[in-house]
Amino acid sequence: MNLPILSLITFTPLVGAIVVATLPSRRPDLIRRTTLAFALLAWVMSLVLLAAYAFGPAGFRFNEAIDWIPAFGIQYKVGVDGLSVLMVVLTTTLTWISVLASFGPIKDRVKGYMISFLVLEVGMIGVFVALDLFLFYIFWEIVLVPMYLIIGIWGGANRVYATMKFVLYTLVGSLLMLVAILATAFAYQVGHGGSWAGAFDYGQLQGFAATGGFGDNFQILAFLALFLAFAIKVPMFPFHTWLPDAHTEAPTAGSVILAGVLLKLGAYGLIRFAVPLYPHAAHTFAWPIIVLSVIAIVYGAIVSIVQPDLKRLVAYSSVSHMGFVTLGIFVFSATALQGAILQMINHGLITGGLFLLVGVIYERTHDRTIARMGGLAATMPIWSTVFGFFILASAGLPGLSGFVGEFLVFVGSFGIAPGIAVASIIVMVLAATYLLWMFQRVAFGTLSDFLGGLGGHLTDMNRTELATLLPLAILIVVLGLFPSVVLDLLRAPAQVFLAAAGVAVGG
Amino acid sequence: MNWSDIGTILPVVIAVLVAAAVLIVDMAAPGRREPIVVTALAGLGLAAVSIAVQAGHTGSAFGGAYSLDNLTVFLDMLFVAIAALTIMFAGDYLELRGLPIAEFAAVLIFAVTGAMLVAGSTDLLLLFVALELMVLPGYMLAGFARHDPYSTEGAIKYFLLGSFSSAILLFGLAYVWGITGTTRVDGVAAALTTAIAHGSIQPGLAMGLAFMSTGVAFKMAAVPFHYWTPDAYQGSPTPVTAYLSVGPKVGAFAIALRLFVGALGPLKADWLPIVIVLAAATMTLGNLVAITQDNVKRMLAYSSIAHTGYILVGLAAYAGGQASGLSAILFYGAAYTFMNMGAFAVVTALQRRPGVSSQIATFAGLGRRDPWLGALMALFLLSLTGIPPLAGFWAKAYVILAAVQAGGWLSALAVLAMINAAAAAFYYLRVVVYMYMREPTEETAPSSAGLLFRAGLAVTGAATLIFGLFPALVTAATNAANVFHG
Repeated sequence: MNLPILSLITFTPLVGAIVVATLPSRRPDLIRRTTLAFALLAWVMSLVLLAAYAFGPAGFRFNEAIDWIPAFGIQYKVGVDGLSVLMVVLTTTLTWISVLASFGPIKDRVKGYMISFLVLEVGMIGVFVALDLFLFYIFWEIVLVPMYLIIGIWGGANRVYATMKFVLYTLVGSLLMLVAILATAFAYQVGHGGSWAGAFDYGQLQGFAATGGFGDNFQILAFLALFLAFAIKVPMFPFHTWLPDAHTEAPTAGSVILAGVLLKLGAYGLIRFAVPLYPHAAHTFAWPIIVLSVIAIVYGAIVSIVQPDLKRLVAYSSVSHMGFVTLGIFVFSATALQGAILQMINHGLITGGLFLLVGVIYERTHDRTIARMGGLAATMPIWSTVFGFFILASAGLPGLSGFVGEFLVFVGSFGIAPGIAVASIIVMVLAATYLLWMFQRVAFGTLSDFLGGLGGHLTDMNRTELATLLPLAILIVVLGLFPSVVLDLLRAPAQVFLAAAGVAVGG
Repeated sequence: MNWSDIGTILPVVIAVLVAAAVLIVDMAAPGRREPIVVTALAGLGLAAVSIAVQAGHTGSAFGGAYSLDNLTVFLDMLFVAIAALTIMFAGDYLELRGLPIAEFAAVLIFAVTGAMLVAGSTDLLLLFVALELMVLPGYMLAGFARHDPYSTEGAIKYFLLGSFSSAILLFGLAYVWGITGTTRVDGVAAALTTAIAHGSIQPGLAMGLAFMSTGVAFKMAAVPFHYWTPDAYQGSPTPVTAYLSVGPKVGAFAIALRLFVGALGPLKADWLPIVIVLAAATMTLGNLVAITQDNVKRMLAYSSIAHTGYILVGLAAYAGGQASGLSAILFYGAAYTFMNMGAFAVVTALQRRPGVSSQIATFAGLGRRDPWLGALMALFLLSLTGIPPLAGFWAKAYVILAAVQAGGWLSALAVLAMINAAAAAFYYLRVVVYMYMREPTEETAPSSAGLLFRAGLAVTGAATLIFGLFPALVTAATNAANVFHG
């Protein structure tokens, strides 16, 4: 195939950003619609990509490679396998939904906001398609700047503190990752008689790793650096403390993208780079990481119970849900890994939806305190119904997608660590507790005095808001009933992952 | 001396003539700004052409005291660019404060002449004389706003510590001369190699090395010899600060290349520990103190100390056996020059009206008041932080790569450098916070700048972006300019 479809998808939003930059600031509606048009264009192309990929062989396809800095063998090299295709589609889907969801809430500096969002999309897609470690790192850092601005300019009252914390945490991890990437490429170069050719190429590096090219001590150091970067992003306990602040202060669409895509960057990095390149180290640290994952699952759930703020509750529940992802990765089982990746997608859809729904309430009340809510079921029936649906999905109701992911992780890890699997499954009870209790306090009972005082402002969801949530709800049902749509695509990547990770086990 | 010597140092000769011409033009048309600026820029353009013609050629003049090689060409080009940009940025600022532009331009070009001589010096004596020619006009520039007590204070501190360090450096050079019996760089290197082969390095050489390290560390503002920097930078007129933060610093690294790498290369195992300790202390302390600053000029002064630390990592990588560390230094120098001058230019633009402070609060709401200026400042700050794909990112990446290749203690130094870079994000992004996330506090200052000023900003902004997107363009030059081999 000659059409560079991956580059087209990656850089369509960039073209959009440039176009939006030339539009006059006085016409916010034009800016909003143009942004949405480019986001939808990228989305449609990513669906075409998904279809084209699904009806073809496994492995990395649609590859493009151009020399960028030949002196060090750095290339612009992109390509996708089943995992990246799904992540790209998740990104483009959530991006246009977020853009649409920003139409109402964002009234100030619309142009800057929309440009930030489009640049953010470039970085996110780039991370998922990059097959050159240096290129990956560059996209990874590109993501940081727009998100920093989105939280810092359009966020809540405490936004500056939250955004600085987010940036500093991420940078500490990512700069150490840069050292590790350079060291890895150098180790490859030394192992290839001083030639830099292919030193940053993912395929070459993985092949080198598979033949035991990287020494054990080197692997430990490099893995730790990459793991730190990714663990901060996921975020794993105890690196999660930036997340509640960033989520709470970000504007609604920022929270959606943060939870829906940015956290997935970390998990993707672990699956794509940290484990396959340093399998020995990955096995060395597997148990500590599994323990940290379980702590995250339990701790996130317990802390969620006591959160007084709707957004903070959803944020802490993310820590818990992402714990299943890291658990699923590091038990090294095909089932658990497929479950983990499915959980990544589910979490993006469900938590994204929950943030959108909290945003709807916040638009009307300018408050998110659970204690001040109550009785919304009667005043906002549509909202309450949709909210209830997403709450049940998040709690893992069978038939909806959230259940399948966690169940597969459970099944996959049971054979390896039964105690841990049981412990983590008990948390699903906790999840039901904090989610349903919150729903009860918000939706049922009589209308609270605070909400009653708002009178006519408390209208139900409008059509735009419904349009942002319906696609997510449909996907949650479809993936809940037919998870094989996704799981089929993940079978080959899971095998590749295990083969790469298994090398060190056998010696 | 013969005529071919003049041909070899032609760019330096042109620069001197330009400085003189500026003064003559000022006498012919006193108090007028345009003719002076035109003369200076046209002259510097001519110098740039003469440098470009020399690219790829090698030669030596005055019996080997001055060498023309690609390193000379690269550094000369950078110095001429620094001078031209400084003049472009200084015009409005000086005129509004009633400071004479002609003297400013002439003194500046004399200083740059000294820097260009440093770049080509392959004789310890010429190196010292050129260094003094570079720094003496610098003292004058620092005190250029002579009615401003802060400017005078900064200049005096700069002068006293600068002279002191020059004397220390000279003392060290004397030791080297006494032990090796020559002042020629290659002669010193040969003598040292022989001495090492016979295992007879004298204790006096260690003394000399200590003195020279101290002297050069003063010039590049490495911790703990940095105390003059914040006061000199904050007190100087802002365009002068822009110059001081890049010109003498790149000059100091030119000395390090000619002296430590060229002459003392055989002793690199001995000075490696010194450079590692200097680099670690410099970047860490520079960053930690920069975090606490509320004045942007002072913050950028400490940040420039931190960047000295990163550049020293490249020097350490060379001493650790990676010749590519020197190419990394040159890349860093070029990238740092454009992004840092750009950042100072934005500060200058904000301070167009006399009396506007460089406190961080001045930046509040700049993104809304002046979107272009705000966006450019954000670009420079992100580049200084090291965010890809901007110039500052590649600068750091190349230095780190060289350090990682050298391995051992240098890997640890690379990790320390990256932790520092993350910490530095805090104070750079704090300015972005003020620009985009705070409302303007005072009246909205009209910061519309002159055409020349905007051209200068465009050049620095474009360089920051282009070096970032196409680093291979610059690495071709830096690799060619790396005339030393490990």
